[in-house]
Amino acid sequence: MPPTVGIPRGLLYYYYGDVWSGFIRRLGAEPAVSPETTRPVIEAGGSVDEVCLPVKAFFGHALSLADKVDLLFLPRVVSVAAGHYSCPKIIGLPDIVRAALPGGPPLIAPTVDLRQGRRSLCRAIISAGQALGRSPLYSLYAWQRAWQEYRKPAAAAGKPAGLSRIVLVGHPYILNDRHICMDIGGKLAAMGMEVVTPDKADPRAAAQAAAALPKNIFWNYCRQLAGAALTFLAASPPPDGMIFLTSFACGPDSLVGEQLRRFAGRRGVPFLLVALDEHTAEAGLVTRLEAFTDMIRRRRP
Amino acid sequence: MNVTFPHMGTLHIVLKAMLTTLGVRAVPPPPISKTTIEIGARFSPETACLPFKTTLGNFIQALEAGADTILTCGGAGPCRLGYYATVQRDILRDLGYKFAMIVIEPDLASVWQSIRRLAPGGIRPLWPAFRLAGAKLRALDAIERAACRARPRAAASGDVDAERLRALAAVDEAATPAAAAEAVASSLRRLEGLPAGSGPPPLKVGLVGEIYVMLESGVNGDLVRTLGRMGAEVHPTMLLGDYVDTHILRDKAALRRSEAVAAAAAPFIGHYVGGHGMKSVGHTAAMGRTGFDGIIHVFPFTCMPEVIAKNILPVVSVQEGIPVLSLAFDEQTGEAGTVTRLEAFVDLLRYRRKRQETAAAAQKQLN
Ligand code: SF4
Repeated sequence: MPPTVGIPRGLLYYYYGDVWSGFIRRLGAEPAVSPETTRPVIEAGGSVDEVCLPVKAFFGHALSLADKVDLLFLPRVVSVAAGHYSCPKIIGLPDIVRAALPGGPPLIAPTVDLRQGRRSLCRAIISAGQALGRSPLYSLYAWQRAWQEYRKPAAAAGKPAGLSRIVLVGHPYILNDRHICMDIGGKLAAMGMEVVTPDKADPRAAAQAAAALPKNIFWNYCRQLAGAALTFLAASPPPDGMIFLTSFACGPDSLVGEQLRRFAGRRGVPFLLVALDEHTAEAGLVTRLEAFTDMIRRRRP
Repeated sequence: MNVTFPHMGTLHIVLKAMLTTLGVRAVPPPPISKTTIEIGARFSPETACLPFKTTLGNFIQALEAGADTILTCGGAGPCRLGYYATVQRDILRDLGYKFAMIVIEPDLASVWQSIRRLAPGGIRPLWPAFRLAGAKLRALDAIERAACRARPRAAASGDVDAERLRALAAVDEAATPAAAAEAVASSLRRLEGLPAGSGPPPLKVGLVGEIYVMLESGVNGDLVRTLGRMGAEVHPTMLLGDYVDTHILRDKAALRRSEAVAAAAAPFIGHYVGGHGMKSVGHTAAMGRTGFDGIIHVFPFTCMPEVIAKNILPVVSVQEGIPVLSLAFDEQTGEAGTVTRLEAFVDLLRYRRKRQETAAAAQKQLN
């Protein structure tokens, strides 16, 4: 029987999950991704203290896998580009999980730090393969194939359809986790809004916009968000509104969100900040969205 | 040019010496008060951390008092501190203040540029400025350490506080490095001479965590003094000098010390997580092995590196057998609440010590 390797459905899973699964399969193991987030998952993750909702959810996912898998796949992604870091909580994730899950399955937690060049990625791939008894060459080849197979080309931006256009900014692990984000995208669509998300921005333009900022946003993933938001704001006509969906206790967003609010203000684009935690009530969220979309409609000539 | 800067403990004495020698006027913000925190919080993003809000409050109060230039630090992540200045500048501009901002980024070119801007009369006074500032920094640390030692031993801990304030003022006034050293020496003599109290031997408590909250009594409920009054000898793991030695001067001995701390942290935390999160874990483990009674871990609410430490410290506490109290601070943290928690913790430490002593005595009788 091949060993099963658990992949918690949270945080960077939403960036690299498919590649990770493919890689593990090619190494001859069985990837097991936890099912979608539910309330009990988040409640179980609540034993991790004072962290943001996505980290709580992540821990809940890790917990739900703990007694079902032989190993947990939890790479420590320190940095994916020179001069940039992940959020500290993402860097410390393996340590948090280890401390909060004593007696859990062993972790495959290689460090990826591309500030030190691509060698770090190779080392990480090799050490992950080693944990599953594979040779370095075998592992590198497996990664190469998995990366080619699953890296999806960025989707092109949708055409404006005459509807009011709202840019919904947030980390993929918030926006794509329907439970965490309470399906805010669906709710906005039901209110007759056209919703665009950061993944629809042209990555080149987004990177350029982020590079033009007076100070480098050194959190890689936040930098991508900010760059995408800026390209949308720079479009003419600008979008009709911007919603920044974040989590209470999110460090990077607390400052980057403030900057985005100012950028939106300078372009005359209405801006709404929604901060989520496990106590956020759906009814309250709907009321705020309705008020915001009403206001946008009234502004339209 | 009227230059201001954020408060952090007694740092203003050091910066004032430096700036004044360079030939610019230093306008330290008023000491941090409730008002400072209120003003700062009012104009900050709600979920920013406490040092962001408090230092913004500092800047507003200093600009109101006539400062026209802000000197502050930058950073390259992953802690939020590196992004403070950018956001604070925008907030202050939008509030209508006119000022220049000098942000010292952690690279040589930027440091040099900042120095040139701060030394309009040329860089000749640079060396004396560094020497005086350095001497004052050492003096301040020595006073802090001596006060921590004296408080739990003195008959009246208030005498220690009064002496400390007197010494700080003397260091502030010292015009030469020698004068600063002399101010400390005589202050240490006076502290030695204070009448001793009759309480039990002091508890040894390590203070770990985020440097700003650790050093700034205006936001930490004056925790070092409070603990001293309760009979605990506090060992702050980070004073100004420790920071300067490790991060700016890259002093050999200091670097060796921080390597040792990293090694103690390694079984619990496998990588640098920004700020001082790894140090908090390392110091706790190391102090657990060297006869400390307990550890107090302080940090700003939502501080990312320290939240990681907080989630790991319970494991360290069990494995090393040392009690740890984690305290998060935000603008609503009242002094009263902090005191109650500290009291309970000190009681626990006293109880543990007594139990250990009884156990040791019983063991002795058996042998
Ligand atoms: S970036 Fe924010 S939401 Fe994401 S892990 Fe870090 S603190 Fe949590």
